[in-house]
Amino acid sequence: MTSVNRRRWLFALLMLVALAGCGPNRVIVDGNFPPPLIEPLPLTLGVWFGDDFARHEFFDGTKSRDESSWVVNTGAAQVQMWDGLLTGMFDQVIVLNDQPEAGRSSPAVAAVLIPHVEELQYAIPEHTQIKVYEIWMRYRFELVTIDGQPIAEWTMSSYGKTPTAFLQSDQEAVNLAAVMALRDAGANFSSHFTQFPAVQDWLREQGVPADTMTP
Amino acid sequence: MNTFFLRALAVSGLMSLTTACVTSTVDEMTFNEPTEGIGDSSVVILGRRHSSDYETEPDFVTCVGDHITSHDDSIRVIDELEFLNALYPWFEPRTAPLYPKNIEQLLQQKPVAEKMLALKLEYLIWLDGSTVRSDGAGSMACSFNGCFGFGTWSHDANYEATIWDFTDQAEVGQVNTSASGQSYMPAVIIPIPIIAPVQGAACDGIGDQLLEFLSSEY
Repeated sequence: MTSVNRRRWLFALLMLVALAGCGPNRVIVDGNFPPPLIEPLPLTLGVWFGDDFARHEFFDGTKSRDESSWVVNTGAAQVQMWDGLLTGMFDQVIVLNDQPEAGRSSPAVAAVLIPHVEELQYAIPEHTQIKVYEIWMRYRFELVTIDGQPIAEWTMSSYGKTPTAFLQSDQEAVNLAAVMALRDAGANFSSHFTQFPAVQDWLREQGVPADTMTP
Repeated sequence: MNTFFLRALAVSGLMSLTTACVTSTVDEMTFNEPTEGIGDSSVVILGRRHSSDYETEPDFVTCVGDHITSHDDSIRVIDELEFLNALYPWFEPRTAPLYPKNIEQLLQQKPVAEKMLALKLEYLIWLDGSTVRSDGAGSMACSFNGCFGFGTWSHDANYEATIWDFTDQAEVGQVNTSASGQSYMPAVIIPIPIIAPVQGAACDGIGDQLLEFLSSEY
């Protein structure tokens, strides 16, 4: 390689490094989500994670995504948490590759759960002047048959907060607040799932004994 | 300049060996103490985190647990996060029992009852409170030649430990501790923090009282 070429490569490399430095701070939420300590329901459940859910992210709400100085990706952690939670709540869980729709009959599942993140709000120390990161999420769940017929639909909220004092960086604080919000979502869902009237009706139709339902 | 710098360093070194004073008070009310310790049963210490404006610091919970086990290694204190994960989702801020009578409802679930039996859990201790910083004053300026100035602030710690007997499903004691102290940071070239160990004093205070309750040796 000639010295001119070497200089060109070096210049291109420096430009790449400089441009990479201009991008937003990205936090990919990462956490361990324990399986629920629950008697599993004797059913096979399908679950469909739509693209908007599996690639869920949020960023500075006052700017566009490209202008935001930070982006938090929660999608992978959402899928990880919900997959683990549902696997602990049901005898068998099948993650579907396609959305339930009219005419579909397989795989053989009692129902398909479709989670959506309807709304997400956050508070950071810049907004509140206190050293606490907070994340609040509102989920919407659809429980449908494999051919897309609605069984039940409900919303649920979750909340996570963490003080910065115990943490080393803002990224870690945001990550922990998101993990706490996901844990709270799992706790809320698993402790209330069998208490929704429409879900109770469906469980009775499936022949699930009443004493299997969470008190 | 060299002599001045060395003197400043010597003064700084001496000051770093001192710590600021802390005032601490402890109130205790316990009943049904185990007369011969807790045997091979275990204890878990959990922080209350359902309040919106503060949360009990995880490191304070760890400190109290360490204080107990370092003085009596026969007492098995289950790690907070290990317990929360093992019992997920039943001790999350949203779902954690607020009263001892809620334990019965929790134990109606077979997997929870089995897990509690496996852990040999005898006492569940809730820690509620926090340490807050207040009353800051003073100013400090730093340049390439060093820092000059003086800063002071105070810390106040208030914690309450509530002891639940898991077998009898009853509250068997409460320990309250409050501690406060003033910290200082004089700076002559080098800033020297003289920190009041407020949270540490609260940890020792509450840990000693819990030891008296749990240990046969105290």
